[in-house]
Amino acid sequence: MERLPRGRHGLPREFVAQNQRERLLAALAECLEEKGYERTTVASIGKRAGVSKSDFYKQFESKDACFVAAYDDAVERIRASVKEACAERKDWGSGVLDALDALLRLFESEPAQAQLVLVEGLRAGRGVYDRYQVAIQSFVPYLRDGAPAPAGGERPPEATDEAVVGGIASLLARRVLAGEVKKMRGLLPDIAEFALTPYLGTAEARRIISA
Amino acid sequence: MPSRAQARSGEKRDSVPVRPALPREFIAGHKRRRIMDAIAELTAEQGYDATKIGDIVRRAGVARKTLYDNFEGKEEVFLAAFDTAVDEAMGQIEADCAEVDGEWEERIQAGLASFLRYVAENPALARMCMIEALSATPAATERYEAAMQRFVDLVKRTVPQDEQTPETIEETLVGGVAWIVNQQIRRDEAAQAEDLLPELSDFMLAPFHGAAEAAKKRANA
Repeated sequence: MERLPRGRHGLPREFVAQNQRERLLAALAECLEEKGYERTTVASIGKRAGVSKSDFYKQFESKDACFVAAYDDAVERIRASVKEACAERKDWGSGVLDALDALLRLFESEPAQAQLVLVEGLRAGRGVYDRYQVAIQSFVPYLRDGAPAPAGGERPPEATDEAVVGGIASLLARRVLAGEVKKMRGLLPDIAEFALTPYLGTAEARRIISA
Repeated sequence: MPSRAQARSGEKRDSVPVRPALPREFIAGHKRRRIMDAIAELTAEQGYDATKIGDIVRRAGVARKTLYDNFEGKEEVFLAAFDTAVDEAMGQIEADCAEVDGEWEERIQAGLASFLRYVAENPALARMCMIEALSATPAATERYEAAMQRFVDLVKRTVPQDEQTPETIEETLVGGVAWIVNQQIRRDEAAQAEDLLPELSDFMLAPFHGAAEAAKKRANA
């Protein structure tokens, strides 16, 4: 994110504050990706964002608070892209496929965000874990709504919806940890089949994915 | 009556010990185990960071020196407890899978049942391994990943594979099961983990058979 010009630029105060906030959130994610939570300091976040320490504390009361804000912000952006993909869907199966594609594209283009949401959220400990849980659960309805039953069978139990979302998150986290975030889009056929098969059966899932 | 000198040297003692002496290794192993159980309970109750060496020795009922004779410090206790629990669970699961003289679906179900039983019977260890380990220390995180991989490999050895089956399917399945169990533990319902068996069986079998067949299988079982 661009720094604003120094000195008198006549930009409204709220605009400056908002810009600083966004820069700090992006800087935090980058610091985390580079050196992990423990070694990320308020000073290093500020330095990367080009924001003074006192301006940092005007936005956030602590590193933890900045982390939580960055986390919520990242999840919100992911949700927006998944929601958009789902809104345009012709049918349930291709909607899930498009949403997963959008998700992988987003992570691949913003590895620091992938690390933040998928890895740090689980590892940051007690308080943040609740946010991770809420975030993961918030994706369940996109899969659940309109989910069909496979031909001649019953709709899978509700735990399946949650296990599918949790399982995808777990796989993606492992790939981020393995340093393979740049190859995430290659996982689309795999995770799409994993997500669609319980509801459509293997043959129909594969038909949609290869279409 | 033996002389004082004889009693000291132990050459001729006619007094019988009140309890039969236990072998030294047994006592050492037992104390080690108590220390590991203590850290599991304490991290489950209050988290890894808040758990101090003093808490551990008090809970285990051992001297601080005993802890340091056996472990370098808190992290080593935690990692040893983690490894012991995973080995124990894995041993039971593999044994229960091997006992099944039937189809792969039954082996998956037996393994899953065995895992859930371990969680139900060892709620503190389960919380330590599946929740606290994620955020305890970087070494603990690595152990968690390695343990996940052991489960992934076990599923891979058990399920039928065709060329089209996604290569990552076992990873997503193990991750999904871990997520559901993780939430069960978080709700303080680890003791009821076995209730999850039917739903998780369906989930694990679906990618290989289609959900309808998985449900049929369970109804016939």
